[in-house]
Amino acid sequence: MAPDVESALTADRSLRWRRAVGRLFEAGLIGATLVGVVALGVLFALIGTDAIGPFAAEPAWYLVLVATLVVPLTAYTLYARRHPAIARVNALAFVVVVGSLAATLALYVVAMAFEPATIAVVVVATTLPPAVVFAYDRATGGGQLTGPAMTVATVVGAILGLALAGPLGETLAVLATWVLFVPVVTVPAAAGIGAVAVRRFDRRAGSIAAVAVLGATGLTVGAAFALGVDPGLAVVLVGGAGGPIGLFAADTLVHRREGRVGLLGPILFAGGLAGTVFVERAVGLTGPDTWLTPTLLLESWSTTSPEQAGIYPQLVGSIVIIAVMTVLAFPVGVGAAIFLEEYAPSAGPIGVLASVLDVNISNLAGVPSVVYGLLGLAVFRNVFGLPNGLVIAAAATLGLLVLPIVIVSAQEALRSVPDEFRQGAFGLGASRWQTVRNVVLPEALPGILTGTILALGRAIGETAPLVMIGVATTAYTPPSGLFDQASALPLQIFAAKANAIPAYRTGVVAATALVLLGLMLLMNGIAIVLRNRYQRD
Amino acid sequence: MSTDSRSLRRSGPVVAKERFYALVLGACAFLTLLVTVGIVLSLLVPALEFFTQVSPVAFLTGTEWSPLVGDPVFGVLPLLTGTLIVTVVSAMIALPIGLAVAIYLSEYARPRVRSYLKPTLEILAAVPTVVYGYFALVYVTPILDVPLPVAIPIVPAGIEGVPAFTFEVPSLGTFNALSASVIVGIMIIPMVSSISEDAISSVPDSLREAAYGLGSTKFDVSTKVVVPAATSGIVSSYVLAISRAIGETMIVTIAAGLSPHMPYVPDVLRNLTEATQTMTAAMVQIVGSEQTGGAGVPLYESMFAIGITLFVVTLVMNLVAELVRRHFREVYD
Repeated sequence: MAPDVESALTADRSLRWRRAVGRLFEAGLIGATLVGVVALGVLFALIGTDAIGPFAAEPAWYLVLVATLVVPLTAYTLYARRHPAIARVNALAFVVVVGSLAATLALYVVAMAFEPATIAVVVVATTLPPAVVFAYDRATGGGQLTGPAMTVATVVGAILGLALAGPLGETLAVLATWVLFVPVVTVPAAAGIGAVAVRRFDRRAGSIAAVAVLGATGLTVGAAFALGVDPGLAVVLVGGAGGPIGLFAADTLVHRREGRVGLLGPILFAGGLAGTVFVERAVGLTGPDTWLTPTLLLESWSTTSPEQAGIYPQLVGSIVIIAVMTVLAFPVGVGAAIFLEEYAPSAGPIGVLASVLDVNISNLAGVPSVVYGLLGLAVFRNVFGLPNGLVIAAAATLGLLVLPIVIVSAQEALRSVPDEFRQGAFGLGASRWQTVRNVVLPEALPGILTGTILALGRAIGETAPLVMIGVATTAYTPPSGLFDQASALPLQIFAAKANAIPAYRTGVVAATALVLLGLMLLMNGIAIVLRNRYQRD
Repeated sequence: MSTDSRSLRRSGPVVAKERFYALVLGACAFLTLLVTVGIVLSLLVPALEFFTQVSPVAFLTGTEWSPLVGDPVFGVLPLLTGTLIVTVVSAMIALPIGLAVAIYLSEYARPRVRSYLKPTLEILAAVPTVVYGYFALVYVTPILDVPLPVAIPIVPAGIEGVPAFTFEVPSLGTFNALSASVIVGIMIIPMVSSISEDAISSVPDSLREAAYGLGSTKFDVSTKVVVPAATSGIVSSYVLAISRAIGETMIVTIAAGLSPHMPYVPDVLRNLTEATQTMTAAMVQIVGSEQTGGAGVPLYESMFAIGITLFVVTLVMNLVAELVRRHFREVYD
């Protein structure tokens, strides 16, 4: 019977027709999907080709590149794909290395622009009082008011620090830069890494990790003096990047032994790049005719000579604006999300207010960014009477722009924490805030961070609001404080695309756009890896 | 009993602490309402000042916009039509493609393909708009210009009683509405596809299975069952994407030019091949000109007048999207 039915069905011409329609439809869908992917590919290919100039390289250079970078990395990737544990450690290793390096370099650049002494005063004043309260709490056995006392101490310390930064900063500026980085980077890094090590291993490992960070910093300073170079950057890199990377490696070797081969990924990548450059220099090969040079990244702009144009002030300006924006928007956004998800009742006057706020937030997310620019212009120029284009104005304007994004993603993360967790905490006698702080927030943190990083990726490319509040399109020095004028990367692209010299259009601007795209991809990549990791767990 | 209830009651400081935190968090949430009020006030005050000098009727019906040159004229219609042209063309690209992407990702793609495609398409929406604008101006315009100009005779000359008609597309200008619109369209594809996909994948499987059980093909299930069931979500994604296209600033400022004009009729294609100016681009031009306008020339205020027009249009569209999503949603148990 079965063959009969089948033959009857295949003989049915209408069925054949319908099958053809279905195939055609699916092909159309695939084609439509490819439009987006191809457009993205074309954008990266054209801008990348102009920025890097790969056709200028001779074939031998490509051979070296393939031999040192492509072949080892491909072989390794194919191997890692077959072992999920290794692939996961590999992805995390890239995130830890790239993320900590990027964050550390950003911190260094901001500190150097703002005067390290000022940053040191503010950081010490903000972190020392709560640390003292915490230590007192530990020594006396703790009380109900430790939490609020730490909050108050932080706020008071921050205000004091900002007030003292001017006079004290001048006095401290006589100290060498690296000395100032010790309280800003080394001590917090040692304390943080020690605390994480205590959680992941035990108390002894915690002290060893903290001492290791301090010791490594000391050795670095000694080595730098022996070599006669300034130890400032090295001190920051050892504390900010070396510490987390070392801790991650140790943690992987102990707790995720089956994935330890994954640690090789970043090493192979960096080694391959270094190998290519080394062979290029040693043999004298012609590499790509790239516009992505140290000059571009470390010098300031030139409107007449494309070879000497650099984007360092804009790069620093962007980093400073985004950093200040994060400090402003992240606590407020997460606080608002906690209120709406955990505190607001579903009925009563406050419940109504909460649902109004919910609708309002989704509307704010849809307001065009240029309108936020008008808001910033009106508030900072007309109400406060500030000059155009200050760091604080740019950061606050962008902060309001990303606030709805941060709130919505934090709300989603909080909502995904199962209710059993809360009920368990309530059952143990925890108050609402204790439940939120100790149970819900740690569980929701990866999701909140993912959403925040995506929001930062959006903010770093925003141009229209900055244009509206009058941020300078070209700046020759990085900003030196919150109330200084700054420029930003996207504005330089906006300004320079009109330069009459063709090398700007197809060279320097392409390279600048590539830097901006790279920063955006970096943030999106970190967010995607974080999301994938915590969705799976 | 009384001792029990006392032991369960919290001590004073704990309650005070809880209240304090609730208050701080509530203040954070309330700030968002202040932002909206701030936006409305900061737009409304200068806009009202503008309308004391230029009548709203002249603003809304004026067919000429030239605030910077000669005798300033503030008629918003050329800017509105510029925005409309860009929005319509970008919607023609993004709406069908976005829906097709959503159907493909939700109904056809294998999970592995999907896990790569989704983040890739999200990057399309994350590319900075200034980079898109630069891309449109420097790369897309020359590419689109390759086959142009074309002249295809549809009705040859010399036929009695029928006027000769030739389909003509002139060359693209350096600044033109076409490349800007195409890029805006590509940028908003992920907006359409991600919200539509959420709506499509939340259609319960029982509907699909019932349709298969009745002998439907996958094509029938997708087009006649799943998409109609997800209409509210799809429409709301359309409205949101269009609202995003209306508010898009940098792409149109960089690539579509700064020459506002009323639409060319009947030469419709000239509207695409030549430069235009949108509402958003006009604001950027005024703020970039660094003129504040003299006595009787409300130049600075005119930005806010455009701004509030833009704000009202996008606000209405966002509210419509929300209403469509809430009220026309089919609820499946």
